[in-house]
Amino acid sequence: MLLPGYSYSDSLVPYYGTTGNAVTDQSLTWSMPDVLPKPPGLEIDTVLYNYTIRKATEDHVDVFVGNENADGTGYIFREHDEWRPGSLDGTQINKVVGVGTIHRDLWGDGFIDVQGNGSVENPNVIYSYRVDPCYDPQFNPGCPGYVAPKVEVPEYDIYDATADMNSTQYNPNDELYEDEEGMSDEELAEKEAEEEKDSKERLEKALAAADNSAMFAQALAQGQQLESINRATNMNSYYARSIEGGSYNDSVQLTDKQLPDNRRGLRNNLAQQRLHQQMVEQQYNK
Amino acid sequence: MFIKKLALTTGLMLVPFATIAAEVPITGTVESRCIIQTSTPGTYGNPNAYTLSTQAADGGDQAVVRFDVSLADAYYAEITPPLAFSSAPNLPDQVSWTGEVSVQSVSDATGMGTYETDKLELGNTDRYTLTATGSTWFAIHSTATMGGNKAFPGGTYTAVAEAVCIAK
Repeated sequence: MLLPGYSYSDSLVPYYGTTGNAVTDQSLTWSMPDVLPKPPGLEIDTVLYNYTIRKATEDHVDVFVGNENADGTGYIFREHDEWRPGSLDGTQINKVVGVGTIHRDLWGDGFIDVQGNGSVENPNVIYSYRVDPCYDPQFNPGCPGYVAPKVEVPEYDIYDATADMNSTQYNPNDELYEDEEGMSDEELAEKEAEEEKDSKERLEKALAAADNSAMFAQALAQGQQLESINRATNMNSYYARSIEGGSYNDSVQLTDKQLPDNRRGLRNNLAQQRLHQQMVEQQYNK
Repeated sequence: MFIKKLALTTGLMLVPFATIAAEVPITGTVESRCIIQTSTPGTYGNPNAYTLSTQAADGGDQAVVRFDVSLADAYYAEITPPLAFSSAPNLPDQVSWTGEVSVQSVSDATGMGTYETDKLELGNTDRYTLTATGSTWFAIHSTATMGGNKAFPGGTYTAVAEAVCIAK
């Protein structure tokens, strides 16, 4: 007798864990998707919480800690901490609340609700959970109930344009659609001759087009060749010139202590002065 | 008649000649409904040469002891801070002791919230009536001061606080 069996890898074994602190701000409310890890097969079994009560000794403060039902119909759990008159400020509470095993989808928002003249300090709410990796059997082929997926290839009708009587391309009057069965031998011979002639003409046109293409390609290739030659001009001999090092002394030496005016320059200067003088005098009609 | 005698004789043969006695033991185990566990061992800080203190401000840590009770209103918790060192170097003078016990944390605000205000101080011992089931954490502070403001000699000091669960 053969019995069905399943082999499990470590990753398929249920495991346990705890969340971090669900209370992250002063609103004292939290959303469970933000608190719980992602696996779908997660079930919460225990809630642990603690906080420090802040109140005057004579005050009565009620603190409610819980989670709403996901469908909004009530509470999954709701703990009531009644701090009566006489309980001291600064007292902590540490509480462990067993809730059975409740799937993550059923958990609504969490809350700490303080009623009365008091507050809570350092609230800490932690959820203890169990994860069944095979909650969805399709998670792994090793999961019980796994069904090998079937790939369904959709069948498409292949469009045959030649068989489409509604196509705009279809024209029974076109000579391509002429029925050759109704033609005589002479007409058929004449038609074949025309088709042969047309075929030769098309061949000539094709060859001419091929020649033109070859010539164009050749010209293009030559142009590219010349361009590459120009790019390959060796400029290194210009770039590699170096200037010898050392000191370059000034070669101009002025031996005379007094430099006389250039006589030719003086003459030129006087001539220009004279010309300027004449121009000025012309303004005064002199 | 014979038959009667026979019957009598037969009857005499069935009567035992001796009485057999047996002792049947009955045992039972009673587990305490009150469990005491050390939650945090304390440490002494040394704010000055002649003082050892468990106050955080003095560099020490308070000791924390937990009482777990599964039967309501059946036990007292009695806690006594230390009055002597259980081990210490030779001391140059007398040491004076002060101690304080307080409820640090509870598992049931409604039933245990007033433990601290309802406690009895019996000398150096604080008595709490454990009226509710659950866990209660008690913090124990201790301060030791060397007489004459003399310095504590260097070494390791150990003191022991006593926590007792007493049935009512």
